[in-house]
Amino acid sequence: MSSAKSQLLTPTDLHDTLQAALIEVGENAYFVFVEPCDAGAFATLAEQERDKSSRPGWLMASVRFTGAFSGSVEIVLPERLGHWLVTSLLGMPPEEDLPETQMFDGVGEFANMVCGAWLSRVGDQALFELKMPAVTRMASEWNPVGEGRGREELMCRMVSLNDSPMRIRVRAQ
Amino acid sequence: MSETSGAAGANKPLNILIVDDSATMRALLHRVIGLADLPIGRIYQAPNGLEALKILESCSVQAVFTDLNMPVMNGMELLREIAKRDAWKDLLRIIISTDGSKLRRDEARELNVDLYVEKPFRPEVVRDVLCQIATADAH
Repeated sequence: MSSAKSQLLTPTDLHDTLQAALIEVGENAYFVFVEPCDAGAFATLAEQERDKSSRPGWLMASVRFTGAFSGSVEIVLPERLGHWLVTSLLGMPPEEDLPETQMFDGVGEFANMVCGAWLSRVGDQALFELKMPAVTRMASEWNPVGEGRGREELMCRMVSLNDSPMRIRVRAQ
Repeated sequence: MSETSGAAGANKPLNILIVDDSATMRALLHRVIGLADLPIGRIYQAPNGLEALKILESCSVQAVFTDLNMPVMNGMELLREIAKRDAWKDLLRIIISTDGSKLRRDEARELNVDLYVEKPFRPEVVRDVLCQIATADAH
């Protein structure tokens, strides 16, 4: 961790602030509880997701940021959950079909809110600039369970949201 | 170019401009504004500051809700342009952004921003903002 970062918060604080940001976004924008889960629970939810969804794929939304320190917030979630997030935010019936552009835009905005809410907690006195969110659909055989961390990973949180798994990674640049 | 009028009268519909690069956020704000128990006129939308300026130059708008992080022209650049124009001095300026830092809020204050709302926000926050506008205008 760079010195600029460590002057802001400790690693434990960084974890706590990310969790608080997720809860804030979940409760304020989507009226849903965000529950932390461990790797085992995450794997179980990911497995269940394959069986219960007509949208079995996964999405990855990432937001790069620069400022007091630089990096990215990277969120992976089942496509079914992404669909739910957008319809829920816009007050649409959950079964309504969405064009891919709308779903990607909505999932990107979710990542944007999480990243912004987290950075606001990391350093109220620091300025950060967030880049446009990038959302991609993962390959059909991609599996989030057991995926490597990558050298630049600062922290990783796994949560359950509306009974679906979600993983959030923060990477330093 | 039509000049932007001042704040709406008590019964005059309020024309609003929403500036955000996310179509989802624009749709959300549009929906939330519609929930306010106020006479709302036209709701314009722009994906960045530059497009917002074009709308302001050609339409009568009383309130601008703007995001900060946007491509082409960001929210602060838009607000600086608005601050330069005497014709827009009465325009109500509301920032809706994920960036809640003190430094950004200070920067907004210097640009005569009326309200700063942090994302994520509860719908009633935007409704209350509009009610404040209407109440202030009635006095």
